[in-house]
Amino acid sequence: MVSPHGIQFAAHLISSFYGELCSKVCECLLRRGTLTLAQIIQSTELSRENVINCLRVLIHQNCVQAFAVQREGAFGEAPRIVTQYMALFNNIIHKLRAPKFMQIVSEELGKDGLMQHGRLSLKRIIDRNEQTAGSSDIHVVRESFIRLLNARFIERCPAPEPFLAPPAEDEAPAKRRGAKSAKIAEPKTTEQRALAAAAPMESMRFLMEMDDLPEKNDDESSDSVTHRKKRKQDVLKSDEDVLDANDKKEVLWRVNFEELVRRLRTKACISYVKTKINDEAGIVLSAILDLSGRPESRQKAEKTAYLSINAIYDEVIKKEGGLGMDFERIRVSLNQLGCETLSTGLDESYSIGTHLSSFSYFNAVVESVVLRRYGREAYRVFRLLSKAGRFLETDKISDSTFVEKKDAIKILYKLWKDDYLHMEKVVSSGARQSLFLVWRVNKQTLWEQVLDEMYHAALNLRLRIAHEQDRGKEVLQLPREKLVGELEKKYKLLGKVRVILESSLMNLDEAIMLFHDF
Amino acid sequence: MSHSLVSLSSHKRKRPEKYPSGPVDAERTILDLIKSKKHLGICVREIKQETKLADDDIKKSLKSLSTKCLIKEVVNIHNKRNKHYMAVEFEPSNEISGGDWYVDGELNKEFIDELQKLCLRYMRTKKVVTLERVHDLLKKVVTFDISSQQVGEILNLIVLNNFIIEVKSNGLGDYHSIPVGTICYRVASGAGVLTGPRTGAFASIPCGACPRISMCTPDGVIAPSNCVHYEKWLNIEF
Repeated sequence: MVSPHGIQFAAHLISSFYGELCSKVCECLLRRGTLTLAQIIQSTELSRENVINCLRVLIHQNCVQAFAVQREGAFGEAPRIVTQYMALFNNIIHKLRAPKFMQIVSEELGKDGLMQHGRLSLKRIIDRNEQTAGSSDIHVVRESFIRLLNARFIERCPAPEPFLAPPAEDEAPAKRRGAKSAKIAEPKTTEQRALAAAAPMESMRFLMEMDDLPEKNDDESSDSVTHRKKRKQDVLKSDEDVLDANDKKEVLWRVNFEELVRRLRTKACISYVKTKINDEAGIVLSAILDLSGRPESRQKAEKTAYLSINAIYDEVIKKEGGLGMDFERIRVSLNQLGCETLSTGLDESYSIGTHLSSFSYFNAVVESVVLRRYGREAYRVFRLLSKAGRFLETDKISDSTFVEKKDAIKILYKLWKDDYLHMEKVVSSGARQSLFLVWRVNKQTLWEQVLDEMYHAALNLRLRIAHEQDRGKEVLQLPREKLVGELEKKYKLLGKVRVILESSLMNLDEAIMLFHDF
Repeated sequence: MSHSLVSLSSHKRKRPEKYPSGPVDAERTILDLIKSKKHLGICVREIKQETKLADDDIKKSLKSLSTKCLIKEVVNIHNKRNKHYMAVEFEPSNEISGGDWYVDGELNKEFIDELQKLCLRYMRTKKVVTLERVHDLLKKVVTFDISSQQVGEILNLIVLNNFIIEVKSNGLGDYHSIPVGTICYRVASGAGVLTGPRTGAFASIPCGACPRISMCTPDGVIAPSNCVHYEKWLNIEF
């Protein structure tokens, strides 16, 4: 489930980009979960035509995914196929990152404006290029397209409406095999199954076929799928209006958010390590991540493969600032990065956790908030509990953090009230019963709490930007020649304010993206 | 100790009883009670509960015992407002005094800060240090017998303040002279880690520091459009 302010923020973004009606439909799906068309109409109280149009826009913009499920008929009726819609929260938030994504693409491949809108077929990309750039050289466009594909900045769109068969009966015995296998094979939610069913096969995801050939088995997936022609007979007529625009036999392509986010995260990770440790550690980390390459499957690799010290050295000296590093300095950096060592005979290899939690990013973000909001003593208290990872009693906290006992209890209470800490009461047994309070950081609930606050802050920044624009609209609308004296000062001031707010939003968005990694 | 002093005097010569009956019985009772509490001492409320004596008798007895230097008043950090008494031959336990770092019920902040600064100054001249080395340094500098545990507590405080980090030696590089697995300390590098562009991105905007964020709504009494912290933040930049 998306957090309350996450929903508000996503709805606000949709409103900014696609209007209030789309925002209403999107918010309805985010709050209430997967719904049918009829349920959306009832919930939003919008007309059917409006809802259909909104869904078409949202699907095209990769913010909503449709899928078909079988519903049992009532009173002896035959089962029906029903189309449901789910909001894709992460893709909505990615809308804010479009400028960063375009920057990455242009840094890697030069100026390229091919993929800026939702989802397009290659033919439409060529048509758009003709309209915008005035060029009708198909080969140039195809070459650009292939470069984007090879760099994995674009991918095949998921199937517009995969069918989810009812869970197979042979899945039930797996639960009886034992607690261990039941733990490993956690049942997927309907939404997870829908996304898995919609996703193209990994081998097809970045494969371009001849674009004049009809696509075969485009929507094959791990779930069983009935043929599209047969399904069309079962789909409700109203959903045909939503999906018809996308239900064509041509391959559609879209931005591959996964790759772009991976690159942004890698860049941010290296930069964070440079700040937290030093430049050399950043260089070594960059070398390791380059050597490790991209995880082959959708599953994020928890740590890199073991790399030999020689391979790491060869990569480090190619980096800017890395030429002067020797084996000893690399070993120091590897130790500082918390790499795992594997030494067998003459071989010396290292592996590193790719997850940002390896670099205690989560802790650093939360600790910085605690420091600013509650002060240095609270900061020490929080860090102690965070490192301990278990319940600690009030006096123990006070002693270890060198905080006066009376102040410690006030700080602990404040942090607990704001959901940063978990508290329990313990009664000691014996002749004389005493009541003790014990405290602990619960990382899961804390992560949810802080992430929600970050979405709240991002929404506030956007609202403030809009407010400043509105406040200064009279000045902003004036022609250049009239901006003299006081008006010129005010104009410049408005510009500075906008830069501060927008750069803060960009930094916060990057922090959200990294924080969300947990 | 005090018991052995009384028996000696009764063997030597007859002296007037120290605790004749009447009001002096109350003193005896209270003194015995206070002594029984040893390092923990006892407060007036508990004396009243356990002896069932009248307030006036308790007050007079305590005054008399203090004058005779048989008991002393100590500060109980859990209850500084109420008087707490202890027999003179005992020293307050850590539970009552607060521990090595407390003086008269208050944390000796100035002293603790000085120790921290001393440790940090030393550590900035080294790449990595062990607790043993810091202990050796402080033993030469402080005027009291500082224990290894106390040094460990100070180093832990500096870690919690994020000025140094705790690491384990792997025997390589900077750690070559330190046995593998030994806990060491190094100065935390990277100025502005707490408020850098990534870790501090949330903390450095008004919402990150705001204690009322839970009450803030887009169109509410507290909203981004009317927030005083935003006003100050945007004005301060200029």
